[in-house]
Amino acid sequence: MSPLQIAKECLANQSKHVRLNAFISRASQASILARASAAQDVAPGHWPPHGQLIAIKDNICTTDFPTTAASGTLKNFTSPYDATVVKLLRDAGAIIAGKTNMDEFGMGSHSIHSHFGAVRHEEEEGTVLSAGGSSGGSAVAVSSGQCTAALGTDTGGSVRLPAAYTSIVGFKPSYGLLSRWGVIAYANSLDTVGIIAEDVETTKHLFMTLNKYDSQDPTSLPPSTRARLGATSGFNSDPRHSQRPLRIGIPLEYNISDLHPDVKATWKRALDLLELEGHTLHPVSLPNTRHALSAYYILAPAEASSNLAKYDGVRYGTRADGPDGTPTSVLFAQTRGANLGLEVQRRILLGAFSLSAQAIDNYFIQAQKIRRLVQQDFDRVFATPNPLLSTPDTHAEDEGVDVIISPTAPTPSPLLSTVSSQPPTSAYKNDVFTVPASLAGLPAINIPIMVPQGDKQRPASPSYHSKYSWRTLGVQIIGQYGTDDLVLEVAEALKEYDEAGFNDGEKVREVEEDA
Amino acid sequence: MLQQPTRRVLSTLARRPYVCPACLRSARSPSLATSPSISRPLLRNLQTDSQALPQEDTPFRKQLKDAARKKKKEDRAAPGSKKGSKKQSDPRLEKWELTVGVEIHAELNTAHKLFSGAATSMNDTPNTHVALFDVAFPGSQPHFQKETLIPAIRAAIALNCEIQPRSSFDRKHYFYQDQPSGYQITQFYEPFAKDGHITLFPHDFPGGVSPEGGPITIGIKQVQMEQDTAKTIQQPPSTHLLDFNRVSHPLIEIITLPQIHNPTVAAVCVRKIQTILKTVNACTTGMEMGGLRADINVSIRERNVQPGKDSLSYSGVTGLGQRTEIKNLASVKAVEDAIVAERDRQIDLLEGGGVVEGETRGWTLGSKTTKRLRGKEGEIDYRYMPDPDIAPVVVGKDVVDHLRSTLPMLSDEAMQVLVDVDQYGLTPKDASTLLALDDGNRLEYYHDLVLDLQGMLSEEEAKAARIGKVAGNWVLMELGALFKDETWSAIRVPSSELASIIACLIRKQITGRTAKLLLVMKFDGEPRPVQQIIEDEGLILRPLSHQEYVEMARQLLEEKPDVVDDIVAKGQHKKIKWFVGQMMSRGAEGTVEPGTAELVLRDLLHLPAE
Repeated sequence: MSPLQIAKECLANQSKHVRLNAFISRASQASILARASAAQDVAPGHWPPHGQLIAIKDNICTTDFPTTAASGTLKNFTSPYDATVVKLLRDAGAIIAGKTNMDEFGMGSHSIHSHFGAVRHEEEEGTVLSAGGSSGGSAVAVSSGQCTAALGTDTGGSVRLPAAYTSIVGFKPSYGLLSRWGVIAYANSLDTVGIIAEDVETTKHLFMTLNKYDSQDPTSLPPSTRARLGATSGFNSDPRHSQRPLRIGIPLEYNISDLHPDVKATWKRALDLLELEGHTLHPVSLPNTRHALSAYYILAPAEASSNLAKYDGVRYGTRADGPDGTPTSVLFAQTRGANLGLEVQRRILLGAFSLSAQAIDNYFIQAQKIRRLVQQDFDRVFATPNPLLSTPDTHAEDEGVDVIISPTAPTPSPLLSTVSSQPPTSAYKNDVFTVPASLAGLPAINIPIMVPQGDKQRPASPSYHSKYSWRTLGVQIIGQYGTDDLVLEVAEALKEYDEAGFNDGEKVREVEEDA
Repeated sequence: MLQQPTRRVLSTLARRPYVCPACLRSARSPSLATSPSISRPLLRNLQTDSQALPQEDTPFRKQLKDAARKKKKEDRAAPGSKKGSKKQSDPRLEKWELTVGVEIHAELNTAHKLFSGAATSMNDTPNTHVALFDVAFPGSQPHFQKETLIPAIRAAIALNCEIQPRSSFDRKHYFYQDQPSGYQITQFYEPFAKDGHITLFPHDFPGGVSPEGGPITIGIKQVQMEQDTAKTIQQPPSTHLLDFNRVSHPLIEIITLPQIHNPTVAAVCVRKIQTILKTVNACTTGMEMGGLRADINVSIRERNVQPGKDSLSYSGVTGLGQRTEIKNLASVKAVEDAIVAERDRQIDLLEGGGVVEGETRGWTLGSKTTKRLRGKEGEIDYRYMPDPDIAPVVVGKDVVDHLRSTLPMLSDEAMQVLVDVDQYGLTPKDASTLLALDDGNRLEYYHDLVLDLQGMLSEEEAKAARIGKVAGNWVLMELGALFKDETWSAIRVPSSELASIIACLIRKQITGRTAKLLLVMKFDGEPRPVQQIIEDEGLILRPLSHQEYVEMARQLLEEKPDVVDDIVAKGQHKKIKWFVGQMMSRGAEGTVEPGTAELVLRDLLHLPAE
C-alpha cells in the first residue's frame, strides 16, 4: 500500500474509533493527507517509518501538539522543543499522527488515570476491556488501525502490558539505547522509550531509526559502549540462520499460582513451538523475582516524588485559582492538589515517605539492594555476560540461556469496569512479569501468540486446532543487556513459527496424527 | 560606612606632623568587623615618621612574638577597650566553652552553569541565561559541565582536602519558588573532597595575635559542589519577581568540623577561607558581594565537667552541647556578632535553668540577639536521593596533580615571600594587611608597582632603596589614606605613575612633599603623566648653593635671637630643629633639604654636627 492509502485507512479508523479515546490530540486530516501525498512522491524503497503515521505517547515532547502527560497540571502545556526520538522520526519521514492517551505521567496499568478520561479497548462490540497501561492509548491506536506504529514509554511494563492486552507487539529496548531527552520523567532510572506496532518487522525498523546515541541524554549509552554491544553477541542473532539452536530459559518463579490458564497455555505453546524448531528449553531460577514488584513500587514512586516536584505552576503549567502559599497554607499545595490526579498524588506520597529520613534505610535502600540482586539473577542465567559490568562472569557459554520466555501479564485483559472499581494496589500486580526486566534495564518484548481458548488439558496440541476458537495472548521475550537485536529476531522467529504452525505446520501434524 | 565621620577626622589628622601616640594605638587594631576596604592604611600613614622600622634581620617568628608581647601589654594598659579583655573579665566564659562549626557557600568562578551550557552571569538582564533544564522544563535533563570541577578542586586542594576519586550528586528536596525543579542538586552521600584543614596563623588575626597564642588548625570535614538558586526580587506588598540567571550557578559548600571555640577565630576562619578561594581563583566575589554566604552552628558546654550521657556529637566531635544553627550570614562581621549573641543567649538560657533547643535561628546585622526561625518539628526532611540522571564523577589523579602543581601561591606562602628580606622585606603587619585588603587586589597592585620600579631603577638602586618596603609604605599609607573614603581602584593612579613618583624620590630628583603632592594630583584626576607635571611645574629639586643656605640661615638666626640664646646659652640643642623647619617652609617648595640646613645652622652657631 502507498503512504496515501495507508493514511486514508488510518484516518478512517480514527474517525470510527473516536470513542476508544486513544488520542489526546490528533493531527488534522488535511495535514496528514498532505504529508502522505508528499511521501508518495518520493521514490519507493523506503522503510517505515517513512510516510507512515506514527502516534506519540503524550509524555514525549512535541512542538506541534500540546504535551500533557495526561495531567491536569500540563493540560495546556506545549513544549518549546521536540524530544530527540520525535526528531529522529520526523527526520526519517514519519508523519506524526498525534499524541496518545495514557495514565497520568505513566502511573497506572490500565490507562484509566487520565485527565482526559480512560482509554477503551474493545475486542468485540459492547465489551470494554482494559487497554493496559500506561501506554494504553498508543496500544489501542495501533491495534485499532489508527496508525502504523506508536511510541510509548515503559517504566515497569507500560509498553509491554498494553501490547499484551491488545494483542500487538510492544518492545522495551535496553535502558540507555533510545534517547530520553524530551521524555517527561516518571522514574528516570527505569523510564525507557518503547515501540508499539502491529508486527515485529515494523518494530525493528523503528528501533533502527531511534537507536542512536544522543549527547542531550546523560544516560544515553555512549558510542564506545554501543560498539562493544555488537561485538559481544558472538553469533548470528537470527535464530533461523544460527549455527546452533537457541537455549531458551523458562523462569520457574514466573509460574505463579494465580496465573490465568489461558496465559499459561499461551506460554506453553510458545515454548513448544520453539522446541519443535529444535531449540532447547532450560528451567532457570530467578529467586529475587518475588521481591522485584515490591522493590519497583518503592523505587518508582520515590523517583516520581522527586521528578514531579517541578510541577508548581510557576514557570509553566496550570495554577490553581487564588494565591498559593499564604501564611496559613503550604506553598504550592493548592496548585498541586488541584492539578495532580489521585494516583499521582498517591505515588508522590509513597515516594516522599520512602525517601524520608525515618524510612529511607528500610525502604529505598533495601529496594536498591533488591534491584541489584534482580540484576545479578539475570546475569547468572544468561550465556552472554552483562556488557556494563567490568568483570564478565565466568560460567561457560553452554550453561547460560540466550533468552528467557515468560508470560507478559498474569491474566488476559480484564474488563474496564472491573479494574475501575478495584483498589489501587491490585493494579500493581499486573506488572509482576514486566518489572524485573525494567529493574535490570534489559531488552524485553511482548508478542501476541495464538492459543486455543478453554482447553486446559491439551492447549497446544496441534490436532485440536480446528476444533477450538483461538485467541492471542502476550508472551514476553527477555534478553541480556544489549542483545536487543537477538530479542527482536527471536520475536520475529517465534511469531513466524506461531503463524506457520497455525496455518500449515499444525495442519501437517494433524494429518500425520490422523494417519 | 558608619565610621565615615571618624575616618574623615583621622584623615585630616593624617596631614599634620604630630599625632598623639595613644590615639594611634587605639586606632591601629581594627576589629575584624571592619570590612576589608575600610582598613588600616590611613592609620598606618600616621605612624610613618614615629614608628621605627624593625631590623631587617629580625626573623619572622620573633617579630610575631614581639607583636604578641606588645598586644598583651596594650591589653593590660587599656582594659575594656579590647575584645580579648572582655573575655578575660567575663567569668561566664571561664565556665562555659563555646563550640562552633561553619558552613561556607561560595559561587565558583566558572563560565557555565553546573548542569547546562548556559553562561553564568552577575548583573545581566534577568532571565537571559537560562537553559531548559535550569528552569526544569518537562523532559529536559542535566548536562554536567565538567569544567566546573577545576575551580572546585583548586579550592579543595588549597584547603588541604583529599580529592575523592569518585563522587556523586544527590537531590535535596524542598519547595520554594527560587528552586525550579523542587530540589537542589548537591553532593550529600559522596562529596568530591574530604578531610582537609585550614591553619590560622597569628598574622591572620587582628593585631597579629591569635587568641590561643600559636597557630590554630581547624578541620574541614568536606567540600561539596551544588547548585545555586534563582534570585528573588521582592516587590512589596506581595509580588516576587524571579531571575533565573543565577539558578544552577555552581557553588561549593565548605563544612568545617566543630572545632572553633572563639567568635574571632570563626570570623578569621571565614575571612581566611575567603582569601584562599580568591587567591586560587576559585570564586567570583567576596562575601560582601553576595558571592559567599555562611551558616554557623553554635553550642556551649561547661568546662572542666565530664560530658554526661546527654552530650551530643557532631561530625565525630563528641561531648558537645545541643547546637543551634544560624543561617545565611552574609559578612564576616555578621559571623562574629551572631556567634557572640548566640553564645550569650545559650549561656543565659542554661544559667537560668533552661534548655537549648535544637533549632534554626536567624540574625540580622546590627541586632543584639538571634531570632528563632523554626524548631526541630519544623525542620525540613530533605529526602536526599541520588540523582539517577547524573553519572558519578570520576577524577583522575593526573588532574589533581596538575591542578596542585599549577596552584597559585597561597596566602601563607605569599606571607613568607612578602616578609622575606631578600624578596620584599615587608613587616608581617604590612604583609598581612596587603593580603587582606580589597580581595587581594591591593596586593596585585603592590606587585605591579614593585615590578614597575624594578624596570625603572638599576638593581643597585632598587636594593639600596629597599623598594619592597618603600612600595609597601606608599601603597598602604599614602595611597591608603587617599582611598580611605572610596572604593579601591587599581587604575585611579596607575602603578606605573606611582612608580615614576617613587623613582624620582629615590633618586632625590623631588622631595618627599613633592612626591605626596604629585600622588594627590594624580589621585584627583590630573591627566598629565608624572614626568610632565614635574617638568611643567618646575618641581625638580634644584639644590640651593651653600651660599644660599648660609644667607637664609643667618637671616633667620638674626630674627630670633631669643631662640638662639636658648640653644647656645641654655644648651637646648633640640631647638635647632625649629630653625630647620623654618628654613624648609621659607625655601621654595622642595628646595631645602633638612640635613644640609641643619649642618649649616650648626656651623653658624658653632655647634658640633651630630
